Amino acid sequence: MKGLRLNTRQIKIRDGIVAYIIIFISLCFFILPMIWIFYCSFRTQESIFTGKIIASLKGFTFNNYIKIFSVTDFPRYFVNSVKISSLVTILSLIISIFGAYGLSRYDIKGKKIVILGIFSTQMFPQVLLLIPLFLVVFSLNLMNSILGIVLTQLILVLPFCLWMLEGYFDTIPIDLDDAAKIDGSNLIQQLIYVILPIAAPGTMVVAFYSFVVSWSDYLIVSVISQSQNTATLTLIMRRLSSSLLIRWGQVCAVATLTIVPTLIIFAFVQKRLIEGLTAGALKE
Amino acid sequence: MDKRKGYFLIIPAIIIMCIFTLYPLIEGIRVSFTDKSLLRAEYSYVGVDNYKQMLSDPIFWLSLWHSLILTGVVVILQLIFGLILAWTMKQKIPGMPIYKSIIMASWVIPVAATVTIFKFMAQSDVGFINIILKSIGLKSLVRYWFGDPLTAFPMIILLHLWRNVPFYGIAFLAAMQTIPASFYESAEIDGANAFQRFWYITLPGIRNMIIVMVTIHVLWTFNNFDFIYLATGGGPVNSTDVLPVYVYRQSWDSYAAGYGASIGTVMLLILSIYLIIYLLIQERGEYER
Repeated sequence: MKGLRLNTRQIKIRDGIVAYIIIFISLCFFILPMIWIFYCSFRTQESIFTGKIIASLKGFTFNNYIKIFSVTDFPRYFVNSVKISSLVTILSLIISIFGAYGLSRYDIKGKKIVILGIFSTQMFPQVLLLIPLFLVVFSLNLMNSILGIVLTQLILVLPFCLWMLEGYFDTIPIDLDDAAKIDGSNLIQQLIYVILPIAAPGTMVVAFYSFVVSWSDYLIVSVISQSQNTATLTLIMRRLSSSLLIRWGQVCAVATLTIVPTLIIFAFVQKRLIEGLTAGALKE
Repeated sequence: MDKRKGYFLIIPAIIIMCIFTLYPLIEGIRVSFTDKSLLRAEYSYVGVDNYKQMLSDPIFWLSLWHSLILTGVVVILQLIFGLILAWTMKQKIPGMPIYKSIIMASWVIPVAATVTIFKFMAQSDVGFINIILKSIGLKSLVRYWFGDPLTAFPMIILLHLWRNVPFYGIAFLAAMQTIPASFYESAEIDGANAFQRFWYITLPGIRNMIIVMVTIHVLWTFNNFDFIYLATGGGPVNSTDVLPVYVYRQSWDSYAAGYGASIGTVMLLILSIYLIIYLLIQERGEYER
């Protein structure tokens, strides 16, 4: 018996060591690239071109950031990205809160078909939808407008948002709605004062998801945005990193400023998001 | 009365999805039977000519092959590494909460940024990969990793792994935590070794999660456009061409919208077949239980 116990202890130590080795390797693989571009965003062009990892102190500079803010159109693209992603977030929240509430609380005929139909759109190849989408946006006279991009990007986020919120609303007892109804509050008041406070975590996840998906989109923006007035960070990043003489320091600075907002928001909702993303598969 | 309110609430979502997804889909399939081009307004129906053209188009077959291989290899590797990562995160060792909170970072950042990072790291002169190779004396391996037909495709696989493996790990971990510890304890008493415990307890315990993750990522990888378009554009010499990128180039660079749409329709067919097979297997699994 004593021998067995020692054995499991040994196994634990061995597993711990193996785990640390995997952690080390995975950190190098997953995290180091991000640290590297963050680091290089503070290096001068000359310092980067020495091909050394550790640069001398005079190789460090804030110039890359100063340059992209003063010389390039970066601020405009950044503002465009913020505008588009915020609008997508707000609209997708409004539409999916109402939609999910309707699906969750009312006995809608063909509810299953609606949910399945909306979800199956996720498997459509976006490149196939693109030309008709382009024509739809064109005929609505929304080409090269923020609104055109926002409305089109909604199709990327609505299916997940609806499904996620419907699941959340389903867990809230319907008695609460009824109590509010007896108190004489209307539908909007019910949602704002009763449902949303309870569903706040789910709502946060949906908001985060919408923002990041919109922030990351390249395909739709590349077709609908035809000028600098609506170009976003993902577009400019491609342009910068495929020009002839690439200023890598500035590219790294742009990449850093594109990444950081997503990481900050993610830090706030991480736990809920993972719960939400995995909940569907863990049900039953 | 109440019912009508329900429809009223869901209608905005349905309208948006119809205008911007359902209609474009039907329209896209219709266009695949025409010779439509974005350069001119008029077009005519050409029957199945586009599909015939596809049969004798070597780039189409190459792209199809690449798409299938890429999806297969990527999903299998993600599954394996995801399981390893989940096992690692299950160990109760100091530092694990911090590790878990930062490991998903690569999944969150925009794909365009991921591609930029890796393009920079793969540069032949200033790239991190090559700096390391030079410093350990492997100068002969130095190259622009996305620019070499031999290494471009593996680099694309690497990008997919970089983005999604942590998500797999976290998802599998969540599933593993729902398996009661008593299962493992009684298996240990019965003398099951580590592999047997994994095979007979862990794997069946996370079966559902595996199915969901694989399904999502087969669709995601097969349809994914940004990684390859931004990293290589399908090159060098078509060595990384996949169907989504080829459709995009046909529609927007060669202005052959009709032909592009027909390839897109074939993609949709392939995914439908995959989903039907998946549903059949799923159903049989239900019966067996």
